[in-house]
Amino acid sequence: MKKGLVFVVLSMMLLLAVFAFSDETLRVLVPIGGGYTIEDQEAIAKEFERDNPGVNVEMEYVGWDELWNKIVTSVGVGAAPDVMYIGSRWIPALAEMGAIEPIDDLVTQEKYDMYWETVWDTVRYNEHIYAIVRAMSTKVFIYNKDLFKKHNLEVPKNWDELLHAAKTIHDPKNGVYGVAMAGQKFISTVTQFQHYLYANGGRILDEEGNVVINDSKAIRALDFYKELSSYAQPAIIEWRREDLIKLFETGKVGFYLDHVHNALAAMEKGVDVGLLKFPGGPDADLPYSTVIVTDSMAISAQSKNKELAAKFINYMTTLEKQAEWDLTLGFVPPMKREAELPEFQTWYWKPYIEVIQYGYPEAVGIKDWEAVQQVIVDAIHSVLLDVSEPKQALDNAARIISILQQ
Amino acid sequence: MLSKKKSTPIYFLLPLIIAAAIFIIYPLYKVVELSFYDANFLNPNNRTFVGLENYKWLFNFKLFNPNISYFLSAFLRSLLWVGGSLLLKLVLGIFGAMIFNSDRLYGKKVYRSLAIIPWAIPWAMAAMMWAWTLNSQFGIVNSILLRLNIINSPISFLSTPTLAFITTFVVDAWVGLPFMIIMILSGLQSIPESYYEAAKIDGAGDFRIFFKITLPLLKPVILTVSLLSLVWTFNSFDIIWILTKGGPLSATETLPVAIYNISFLFQKFGGIGKASAMTIFQVGFVTIISLFYIKTLERGEF
Repeated sequence: MKKGLVFVVLSMMLLLAVFAFSDETLRVLVPIGGGYTIEDQEAIAKEFERDNPGVNVEMEYVGWDELWNKIVTSVGVGAAPDVMYIGSRWIPALAEMGAIEPIDDLVTQEKYDMYWETVWDTVRYNEHIYAIVRAMSTKVFIYNKDLFKKHNLEVPKNWDELLHAAKTIHDPKNGVYGVAMAGQKFISTVTQFQHYLYANGGRILDEEGNVVINDSKAIRALDFYKELSSYAQPAIIEWRREDLIKLFETGKVGFYLDHVHNALAAMEKGVDVGLLKFPGGPDADLPYSTVIVTDSMAISAQSKNKELAAKFINYMTTLEKQAEWDLTLGFVPPMKREAELPEFQTWYWKPYIEVIQYGYPEAVGIKDWEAVQQVIVDAIHSVLLDVSEPKQALDNAARIISILQQ
Repeated sequence: MLSKKKSTPIYFLLPLIIAAAIFIIYPLYKVVELSFYDANFLNPNNRTFVGLENYKWLFNFKLFNPNISYFLSAFLRSLLWVGGSLLLKLVLGIFGAMIFNSDRLYGKKVYRSLAIIPWAIPWAMAAMMWAWTLNSQFGIVNSILLRLNIINSPISFLSTPTLAFITTFVVDAWVGLPFMIIMILSGLQSIPESYYEAAKIDGAGDFRIFFKITLPLLKPVILTVSLLSLVWTFNSFDIIWILTKGGPLSATETLPVAIYNISFLFQKFGGIGKASAMTIFQVGFVTIISLFYIKTLERGEF
């Protein structure tokens, strides 16, 4: 009897010890979609657990559409995950609400030098770095070589030639469209318009933080955007950029703006694909342009495991792991040395990497991206639906964005 | 002090009362409380008591349209949207129920089972399905209309403001229609056959029978289902959000969509405090309409 009692007590102590010392849990919030899959994330979690015995990684999944709401509500109730994958465009708002904290200490000079400078601009706010980039994208035009050959078209070098190509290819009666464009109320519509805006030298905010989305360069960009949309598929407001690949794969679209992984997908479907860097507009100083979009990993200010969270982020963003991730999912390398790897020297990677030097980040200095995004989509819609002229639409957008920036 | 006999039912009701307190009364109390605060997720720990300011804001704040407040425009849009959807559900519901009740229809049980499908499908999935069905490029609706030469070019169901407004409430009606049909059908089946036989002997035609017998006797059912449907339709969010996200422009931005936008997207202008005031207004409005319905039902008027 006494022996039995001792055995039970010892067993309980052992169990308590296991619970007390083994599992240190790290909660990681991960978006799904846009290339991110549960399988990939689970594999990463398992690898980290394997290399860090006693650590338990709990991945929490949510669709990209709901990620922002998930973050703000979990922060609001004091239950934010330790590590949060975020669209870097949200950093100013999250920093202002105290949801994330600067992680300058985590970024050694060696780590800093690994990345393109523009990559840091996407995660910097008020002179501090708030996150480490996990995925980066640039976009170029993917065009259908057969359609260009059929109409004896040269690869466009400027906006006039771009418009001419779209106009020449466009044959809606036979279901052939010069260009495919997105217009749904969604982030990718704004990013698409930003390409035209930046390519013409326009910006949402200037370097001093003034709202300049209604200056002459921006108005001209929106004007061109509308003109080009006349040669796009019908009802572009129904379309997300993410779905345009389905249309392009039919072989009946001249060109459209997208990621490298969709260029590869179209090739697999038998489309003879060419790639074309976005040419600078009539008012631009640069020959090409792109929008630098990044997703990043930030540490929650509410985290009680900040050290472990930092370890996780560092583990994920070594050169080796980053390259593996980018090659698996088809993202543009955010690290300079990564871009030098042989895998990124193919013809289809080159234009995406070359445009980085001409790129400008998606949301520098914008304090409330979600609201600004709605305002810009509204301006685009009002022009596409002939409710407003570009100037009127952008003046209205600038008025609202100015209030949002106060 | 209640006698033991009288207090017994309270013990049985207690779990329900506790559940209602936790899941209905407390959240409602929090919404009412928040509606008096300037609070938003951007700064969750810093909320300020503002009294009735949020309620004044409802009628003063203008965003895209300089002529009408953001809230009022969403509210009026909601009334039209709910009215359209409800009317469609009622008319088609009565019509569908009469078909299912007809003696001339064979295989009624099969049709009834099939008719319930739209209601059984998760609303979000139904909306996704319609988004592709109505797509101007790949959608089957445009494809059929084009092949039958009814139209020359695809119809942009979801990308022109007026059409998107109509399309969203038609899809909402499609989802809610089976409930309407099944409930009205049960009402139809409770009307004694002898009433119809007597009317026919007296020489009444089909229309006269419908307006003098069927419709009056269906009144209680119609009032009940339209009340339920009104509340559900007023709160309808998933369908609009998935189909149009409130756009194009603000064409389908009904009150629930506007509340969401003010809670999560326009936090600088709005925030959860103002969204709570919008919610309280909506709850109050729907409650008043419901009370009116219930009173009408009690009085037996139509």
